[in-house]
Amino acid sequence: MSFDPTAAEPDRHAAPPAAGRPLRIGVGGPVGSGKTALVAALCRALADLELAVVTNDIYTTEDAEFLRRAGVLDPARIEAVQTGCCPHTAIRDDITANLDAVEALAERFPALRLVIIESGGDNLTAVFSRGLVDHQIFVVDVAGGDKVPRKGGPGVTTADLLVINKTDLAPLVGADLDVMSGDAHRVRGGLPVVLQSLVDTPGAPAVAEWVRARLAAVTTG
Amino acid sequence: MSVLALMLADSRFPGGGHAHSGGLEEAAARGLVRTEADLPAFLSGRLRTAGVLAAVFAAAAAHSAAGRVDNWSTLDEELDARTPSSAQRSASRAQGRATARAAAAMAVPSVDNVCGSTLRVLLAATPRPHHAIVLGAVIASPPDAALVAAYLSVSGPASASVRLLGLDPLRVNGSLAALEPLLRSVAADAAASAALDPAALPAPGAPALDLLAEEHDRHHREEVRLFAS
Amino acid sequence: MRARAHLRVERDGAGRHVVRELRSAAPLTLLPARTNGTALVHLVSSAATPLGGDDLALTVEVGPHAELTLVGVAATVALPGPHGAPSRSSVRLTLAPGASVAYLPEPTVVTGRACHESVLVAELAGNATLRAREVLVLGRVGERPGTLTTAVTASRDARPLVRQHLRVGDRELDASVASLAGKRVLATELYLDGSTPAAASGEWWSCTPLAAGGTLTTALADDAVTAVRRLGLAAAARG
Ligand SMILES: Nc1nc2c(ncn2[C@@H]2O[C@H](COP(=O)(O)OP(=O)(O)OP(=O)(O)O)[C@@H](O)[C@H]2O)c(=O)[nH]1
Ligand SMILES: [Mg+2]
Repeated sequence: MSFDPTAAEPDRHAAPPAAGRPLRIGVGGPVGSGKTALVAALCRALADLELAVVTNDIYTTEDAEFLRRAGVLDPARIEAVQTGCCPHTAIRDDITANLDAVEALAERFPALRLVIIESGGDNLTAVFSRGLVDHQIFVVDVAGGDKVPRKGGPGVTTADLLVINKTDLAPLVGADLDVMSGDAHRVRGGLPVVLQSLVDTPGAPAVAEWVRARLAAVTTG
Repeated sequence: MSVLALMLADSRFPGGGHAHSGGLEEAAARGLVRTEADLPAFLSGRLRTAGVLAAVFAAAAAHSAAGRVDNWSTLDEELDARTPSSAQRSASRAQGRATARAAAAMAVPSVDNVCGSTLRVLLAATPRPHHAIVLGAVIASPPDAALVAAYLSVSGPASASVRLLGLDPLRVNGSLAALEPLLRSVAADAAASAALDPAALPAPGAPALDLLAEEHDRHHREEVRLFAS
Repeated sequence: MRARAHLRVERDGAGRHVVRELRSAAPLTLLPARTNGTALVHLVSSAATPLGGDDLALTVEVGPHAELTLVGVAATVALPGPHGAPSRSSVRLTLAPGASVAYLPEPTVVTGRACHESVLVAELAGNATLRAREVLVLGRVGERPGTLTTAVTASRDARPLVRQHLRVGDRELDASVASLAGKRVLATELYLDGSTPAAASGEWWSCTPLAAGGTLTTALADDAVTAVRRLGLAAAARG
């Protein structure tokens, strides 16, 4: 793994949050790549922090329900927003519903430090607006084939962190992790990449560390 | 019509409108709207009820904005009294607040050329204003505000029908265009009532639409809905 | 025909709710009934009214802490007049602080060539409470309705609680999902009592809290029996 979570790599869109509001991190990526599983892992790994989650479902309130059932977070800390059949609109073109959800959470929990926003599963071009999140994580999985990083698209190329998930499945689907990792680094021009399996490392340690580093940057910056 | 009014009427205006179907999702779930053929009646019915109410209050608010009358709480209370459905009130206030947020970032030139002053006074009186009232406060011209409010009352559901039911966007767009004369007359009537005492403003009810809004909200809490209203 | 009827109810020193003034005006006949509790008055439309051209008005004043139940005994049928002139009926309720009124008229049937306007104005003071029902039936069985406009206005201490106008008899609008969704009967009941129930709804009925306190229950149906049953579900949801 080429990613050192403690290194303070440059953020091309460095946009420190306004003082006094929680840091917002977006988690995007195609359907089923493991966004909710990652969010759940982060909730567990960062349980010592005041955090909350916003989910954007396309077809169901599945993601919010999963998090509630998984018991990783107090249900009052989870807000689900309706996207009007347009998941990318809700995180990019018209971020109203998400801003409302974030504000509602911040009002409910004044000490909130971090809000994780999970986008509805979408295509490779769906990225979060900088007006909504401070940083974004894009999650793809190996099951989609090892061509995915090579195909690029704004999600893969510009996200602040790319997660290639489900590495445990690589042998089963014939995906070459070296190819994926190499392509990912090539198209991302130095932005970090994490390869992980939530089956092998359920705590998503590398991503959790990356998130902690982002939070630390806010506090010290 | 001002550029500002055009921007507010644009479906790409980032005021949260894309997540509201204006009752179309519930109507579709009940099979009341299935195809392009069902849409014109839905849209014109909506325009003649909820659309008229929105146009009336947008025009009245524009009248207040233009004359720098601070009667925002009165307008708010009067529109509340004409919106018996709590689901409809929340949908209106959610869009109102979002529209105000987006408008605040537009440096709205109010009549006295003090940017955003009308909006500030409005938000001080009603932090979560109704959508129609924000439209009027920002546009500050009764005929323009009424036309924008009337148009939005149908353009949102029309667009929702394309996304939700996969209706032919060209035919849906045609249905919207066919409403032009009705839109004009609704807006003209609303503009004509703009200067009335708020208590005397028209109060068209929409019993079925209100019922659908309440049911939508309930389904929302219980199961799956793609739109916020 | 022009008629002005008047009713005044007060609570006396012994705590009884008494009818102090009762002025019927044909065709509006007010019949007091004996009860031990609330004052009970029947509103009887003594002729086949309203007819086109009729202008009927009832004013009701209820004093501090007095209770009145005003019920209708026959369905109001809005009939066409000789020259197609519109008919109009209005009820104005004025409630003093602590007063409590249940206004439960029978359904209004809008017959084929009717052209009727119905107005209800309620002015509440302090913590007065009002329960008001309205059932509109679009035409007798198999008949298309004439036109009816209704206007309901209620305020408490001069601040608006509800203002709702409705137009019935415009075929396009009646059929539209927005207005009556093609249903023949609309039943509503207003509870202006400061209650704030949680919203509840079901197939073609709802119970929703009003912004300034109180509740509106609504039901739509193809017939009056079903509408009233649905309204009952909504009332039950109100708790
Ligand atoms: N084998 C394996 N399965 C995983 C891994 N991470 C997630 N999954 C499984 O992948 C499936 C989809 O995961 P989710 O977290 O729901 O994916 P998602 O991206 O949130 O999906 P949508 O929200 O529907 O777009 C679930 O069954 C997870 O248990 C992993 O690292 N390895
Ligand atoms: Mg998910």
